[in-house]
Amino acid sequence: MKISSMNYLFKQGMKNIWTNRIMSVASFCVLMVSLLLVGFMMLFIANINQFVGGIENKNEVVIFLEDVSESQIAAMQNTLNDMDNVSSVVFYSKEEALEDMKASMENADDLFGYVEDNPLPDAFRIRIADIEKISGTLMEINKMDGIDSIKSPTDFINILTGLKSFIGIISAVVLAALVVVSLVIISNASRASVDIRKREIAIMKLVGATNTFIKVPFFVEGMFIGILAGITAAAVTALGYSELVKMLSQDMTLWSIMSINGFIPLKSVIWQLSAGYLVVGTVIGALGTVMSTRKYLKV
Amino acid sequence: MVELRNVSVTYSNGVDALHDVTLKINDGEFAFVVGKSGAGKSTLIKLLLKEISPNSGKITVNGFDLEKLKKSKAHKLRRTIGFVFQDFKLINTMNVYDNVAFVLRSIDAPLKYIRNRVPYVISLVGLKDRVRSYPTELSGGEQQRVALARALVNDPQLIIADEPTGNLDPNTSIEIIELLKAINNCGTTVMMVTHEHELVRRFGGRTINIENGRITFDDYIGYTE
Repeated sequence: MKISSMNYLFKQGMKNIWTNRIMSVASFCVLMVSLLLVGFMMLFIANINQFVGGIENKNEVVIFLEDVSESQIAAMQNTLNDMDNVSSVVFYSKEEALEDMKASMENADDLFGYVEDNPLPDAFRIRIADIEKISGTLMEINKMDGIDSIKSPTDFINILTGLKSFIGIISAVVLAALVVVSLVIISNASRASVDIRKREIAIMKLVGATNTFIKVPFFVEGMFIGILAGITAAAVTALGYSELVKMLSQDMTLWSIMSINGFIPLKSVIWQLSAGYLVVGTVIGALGTVMSTRKYLKV
Repeated sequence: MVELRNVSVTYSNGVDALHDVTLKINDGEFAFVVGKSGAGKSTLIKLLLKEISPNSGKITVNGFDLEKLKKSKAHKLRRTIGFVFQDFKLINTMNVYDNVAFVLRSIDAPLKYIRNRVPYVISLVGLKDRVRSYPTELSGGEQQRVALARALVNDPQLIIADEPTGNLDPNTSIEIIELLKAINNCGTTVMMVTHEHELVRRFGGRTINIENGRITFDDYIGYTE
């Protein structure tokens, strides 16, 4: 194809956007809203995951020790450190424990005067890397010598793991439904915009134009609308998300619990999200319109 | 050249649209095809454009054996034919120039050629002053002239006109047929389908009558004037 022809088809596509401006605006809105719906849903899910993950990271297992020697303590610390599922090990001596206890009971200084021998045990405070595998790790720790008892938030962890898989399933379902609904709406919108021009397409075929020649302007048109929708969706997300985070962190007590862990900052997601919007918008815009022309190209 | 040999078309609903039709229109001829609506005229045109295929028989148009021509290559055939329709079939979002130029653009013609050829053809049909107008701003006769210009622009071997005067008043109808005659005088084969016997009698020439899917008359009739 000659450059002048390509040039003509490109201009034709751009012109069509204006000529069919009502349908163009409709397609643009549908595409943009769909992108935003999916985008914000993904941000919501990511934030929930971050929230749950934040709680997860705060898990702490306390291992109380029998009265063991310092060398034994060092050996135990090494063994714990070597375990796969243990992310951090901190030794918490009985002296520290006593100091902490005194500090937390400021008004009871007199009381501690009576304590001659420190009754508190030495302990390790460890964090678990993968909370779902905690029971195996605890069993392994139990096999070690010199352990008096282990305190772990097992119930809480069970609830949390349950919640996490529940959220995972729900969000996957909602996201899938949203994607399907968006695709249906978008394909209907682009079909409607092509439908209006079926007469035009039929004439073009009758005077001997090839399918490609007819499709290119539609392709250009859909792609351009897709790019615009992607850019707008990115801008709306950038503005809307930071405003939303600001609002939620200020006002609502429920969300302020979440904001302890912090919302996912806009900066860390906006570029990936914008790129996603742009790619998905362009591809769906272009393919949507071109595929809708197929029905009318069989003349 | 158009040639049909023993062509029959039966639609899937059982309608026998054409029955064993044999017909030949030579290069440079002007032929009227007449008949009542439902006689098979539209089917005949659809066959020539390869919009449909016959159940039996052989069709040759401008050297294309339509049996061997794939549907996806139908544009090659259509580029050798100029069409004029009753409803003009102009693209309303394009002005006169772009409507005519579209045919050349779609065959990837050089830009320079398009810029010379299109204004020339438009002036041939007498619409020099309406080049930038849109179809909706033109009268029926003018629209049909644009359609004629579009049919002519690619210098086709054959022009098929399907009821080109159906939407026009008598005087404009005569003008359009005179234009078609003029085009024919330059060597282009013209096949004009119509149900207006008055017009046919007025101009005369080869007349093919179709009734119930069969050719019942094919001969030259004289001028009445």
